[in-house]
Amino acid sequence: MRARTTRSHRTRRRSRLSSAAALLLALTAVGGLYSALAPSSSAQEQGLSAEAQAGQQLYENGCITCHGRNLQGVQDQGPSLIGVGEAAVYFQVSTGRMPVAQHDAQIQRKTPVYDDAQVNQLMAYVQANGGGPMLPAEQNLRDGNLADGGELFRLNCASCHNFAGRGGALSSGKAAPSLNASTDLDIYTAMLSGPQSMPVFGDNQLSPEQKRSIIDYIQTLKATADPGGAGIGRAGPVPEGLVIWVVGITLCLAACLWAGSRA
Amino acid sequence: MTAAHPGAHEPGGAQPAAGTPPTAGPGPTDEELAGMSRRELVQLGGEMDGVRVVHAEPPVSPGSRQEKRAERQIAMAFTGAGLSAVAFMVLFPAWPWRQRYDGGGFQLSSLFTPLLGITLALALTLVGVGVVLWAKNLMPYEVVVQDRHEGASPEIERQTTAATLMEGLTETGIARRTVIKRSLGFAGAALGVLAAFPLIGALIKKPGDALYTTPWRSGMQLLSSNGVPIRPADMLPGSLQTVFPPVQGGNRSADGVTMLIRLLPEQAANYRARPGQESFRWNDFLAFSKICTHAGCPVSLYERQTARILCPCHQSQFDATNDAKPISGPATRSLPQLPLELDANGYFTAKSDYTEPIGPAFWERSS
Repeated sequence: MRARTTRSHRTRRRSRLSSAAALLLALTAVGGLYSALAPSSSAQEQGLSAEAQAGQQLYENGCITCHGRNLQGVQDQGPSLIGVGEAAVYFQVSTGRMPVAQHDAQIQRKTPVYDDAQVNQLMAYVQANGGGPMLPAEQNLRDGNLADGGELFRLNCASCHNFAGRGGALSSGKAAPSLNASTDLDIYTAMLSGPQSMPVFGDNQLSPEQKRSIIDYIQTLKATADPGGAGIGRAGPVPEGLVIWVVGITLCLAACLWAGSRA
Repeated sequence: MTAAHPGAHEPGGAQPAAGTPPTAGPGPTDEELAGMSRRELVQLGGEMDGVRVVHAEPPVSPGSRQEKRAERQIAMAFTGAGLSAVAFMVLFPAWPWRQRYDGGGFQLSSLFTPLLGITLALALTLVGVGVVLWAKNLMPYEVVVQDRHEGASPEIERQTTAATLMEGLTETGIARRTVIKRSLGFAGAALGVLAAFPLIGALIKKPGDALYTTPWRSGMQLLSSNGVPIRPADMLPGSLQTVFPPVQGGNRSADGVTMLIRLLPEQAANYRARPGQESFRWNDFLAFSKICTHAGCPVSLYERQTARILCPCHQSQFDATNDAKPISGPATRSLPQLPLELDANGYFTAKSDYTEPIGPAFWERSS
């Protein structure tokens, strides 16, 4: 931006022959300005660990456009990330939702852009700015009570994510995603951070043990074989009824017609 | 029919030959009867009832190739049915039905229910196939005609039958005994009305104020589903908790179920309450009935960024920042709001019951 205004200002005064030299000069001026500013900004964040500094590099290359300098957000582009915590970063970046491909109503899960080490660096950088919910210390996130998990899932999660975790529609093109691809840690960090439309479930609202119970229930549900042989999308009685009415009754009618034609 | 009444009322031995079945003249003597074969007896019985065989295809000759083949097919169908039934009984206890929860992959247990269905269906179908083959290929095929008389019965039969019925009625004396007739009529009518009581009575219930009130009362703590009271610090901005009244069976309460919502700070700053309900919220906390005002479904799809509450049944949307007014879908009334305050220990309590009936409209509802 600055480079462009400087250039147009000077090209008006100078002849066309010297425009290339002017561009060079302008770029040098901008570079000088940057190097003059950069030490002062890093001086403010002297306490950053090496990992967080690496995360800051990644942030300033990939995230700053929407989330702004110093994580303070950009109006109508992206929210402030101060205080969202490493849990939010883990959920958004490791599931590929961030960085977004385009600003739609619904930000989709996709192949992650950053590898695990880079996700850790970004997490360290965001966590160093305002703190926020952290990843759980436990390794086993299914260590809970399956029955309680079922109760809690039906009360808190099933209204949006469907009773079998297959997701469902929300307003204006938004949707609650299917939980099919979600790992234990994805679900845990989603509950902690409340991504996009989802309400937050802080540790005082759903204790860590309750969260683990819910995860145990969801993952058990996903691993359950379909007792009837076919799940039909596991979307409930509507598609099941449709199959019976359309397929079943058609077969019965065909059998009747065949029997009648043979009589 | 008249032969069934060989009593006093029969007019002098008139075995009604009149018109009806073409009987075979005088019946065979006892000696002739004793000498008849079963087939001849069947034919004789048919003739007495006016039954004639007009067309009969020769039966499959015993021992022919055709018969052997048909027999074999039928036997195969029945044997198959039996084997399928046995397979069902073996599969039921023996097939692995228990599921492994190790995530993904094919499991034998997925086939348990389908296999039971297939074997049972096969057994029933093959029994049917066998019976149909039997009827088509082995049973004799014949066309039989039975004569029916035309028009009304002969005069003599009609008059004697009517007289028999009227005689029976007169013998009860119901026409003369008025008191008995009337008291019987009364008993019958009363019993008839009584029969309607349990059917209709169960439908008539005075609802009292059940539709206007919920279990919420002033000073009741808002409890989570497992009975824990809630402090403001327990909920982060942009969260939703389903809460229940602290009464017996409260967490299964159909009309007391309530959503405690904490708005995001900027949403709370723009909050517009219904006139007269400004004091119902507690800072950025709001409590709305979870029962949709359209058809009574639980409305707990909460979008934290837009503060919209969605109903899954008919896609009504309510704006939590504007008195939970319906902004889309078939609902026409706001979700009723539960007035909130904190008790001495800092837990959320209700200031009072809902100030309007929750849930869908009903006839007597005034607003």
